[in-house]
Amino acid sequence: MTILFEGKSFELLPDETLLEGIERQGSSVPWFCRQGICQACVLQARSGTVPAAAQKGLKESSRRQGFLLSCVCRPTADLEVERCDASRRFLSRVEQVEPLSEQVLRVLVTVPEGFVYEAGQYVQLERLADGLMRPYSLASVPGSAALEMHVARLPGGAMSGWLPGAVGQSVGIRGPFGECSYVGAELDRPLLLAGTGTGLAPLLGVVRAALAAGHRGPIRLYHGSLTRAGLYLWAELTRLVERAEGLEVVGSVISLDLLPAPEVPAPELPARESAGRCAISNTALDQLVLAAPIDWGKQRVYLCGHPDLVRKLQKKVYLAGASLDRIHADPFVAPGNAAR
Amino acid sequence: MTDHSLYDRLGGEAAVDAAVDVFYRKVLADDRISHYFEDVDMSRQRAKQKAFLTFAFGGPNRYPGAPDIRAAHARMKLKEADFDAVMEHLGATLAELKVPPALIQEAAGIALSVKNDVLNR
Repeated sequence: MTILFEGKSFELLPDETLLEGIERQGSSVPWFCRQGICQACVLQARSGTVPAAAQKGLKESSRRQGFLLSCVCRPTADLEVERCDASRRFLSRVEQVEPLSEQVLRVLVTVPEGFVYEAGQYVQLERLADGLMRPYSLASVPGSAALEMHVARLPGGAMSGWLPGAVGQSVGIRGPFGECSYVGAELDRPLLLAGTGTGLAPLLGVVRAALAAGHRGPIRLYHGSLTRAGLYLWAELTRLVERAEGLEVVGSVISLDLLPAPEVPAPELPARESAGRCAISNTALDQLVLAAPIDWGKQRVYLCGHPDLVRKLQKKVYLAGASLDRIHADPFVAPGNAAR
Repeated sequence: MTDHSLYDRLGGEAAVDAAVDVFYRKVLADDRISHYFEDVDMSRQRAKQKAFLTFAFGGPNRYPGAPDIRAAHARMKLKEADFDAVMEHLGATLAELKVPPALIQEAAGIALSVKNDVLNR
């Protein structure tokens, strides 16, 4: 069996695991249990056939992306693998930048040739002139004409300040990354998606993919913000609900008193009684989600956005009975003083 | 002899799979120690709990040896009370799964055998 790893190819000895072969070549991969349990030694296949035994215990989305446990991987055919953080740079071009609100830009870039992704994943967007990179989740679905990103405009934000003037310019795209993707094989599964700020983008990608796939299970989408203006895509979401019977959208705004918007219900009204399948509540997002009248054991759950909220909800939803294999968490961790 | 190992008597990998969520939920819900188990990557953290349970169940031999266990826990600066809390949840998990007390004792004995390594002393 020939293995290609980090540009070097070598032959695997009979009975040798992928990890052992890599170590024999003088490279190292972090490991702990060496029996396919702890997942420390995970690598990603770029081409070739991954033995099923090397993917046991991994999430379905990880398996589809070719992730494997090198310590129990005994290939039966040639295999090209790389570390998970490595990824090539695709060339793309900024096509359109439009404000969705005062705080959020919708950025469309061309889909690079050969770029394959799943709805809900994220990419690193790179400014070619100086290599400035920021992670942005994709709200578009595979097959869309462009990659759609929702970019938070930050005071002094290097990328968000540059993008409005960058239409027509080339940019780099690295990735895709992340496990916040739609699982197409279970059309009846109830889905719950909750995000704050531009954490809505990957959730929208997943919802769009689900609707395109003809998803039959109920879909509950929660968008949280401090202010009404922060629900930057509310009008578009309400239109989406009109076209999709199984979809319910709940907005959570903590400071309702700032809101002149007509569709905002009286503060004390529970969300679901106020406006059919589309309502804004002034209950905090985590409380709204945890109070959802659903069987957590059956749900597939997507959590994106503010890291504290994502982590808190991830834990609480798991304690409420959701299976960890069906919780997709994507905390938007800010690099330095910037954020997506 | 292998037919009668603790691991086999407990039910092997299926028993570990049944126990891991019960156990992980218990430690996560325990304010005394939950911070040690909170992780951005909960699946990975859960996998660690599975490795631990496999070990405590007397599972397949290639679990890391004592030096690795020591190294993995050294930075955490764990106290005796933390260890005891985990033992408590291990026992409660097995009891909840209707494991006979004698087997719970055996599993606890295996976990106790690495106590000094875990506590780095």
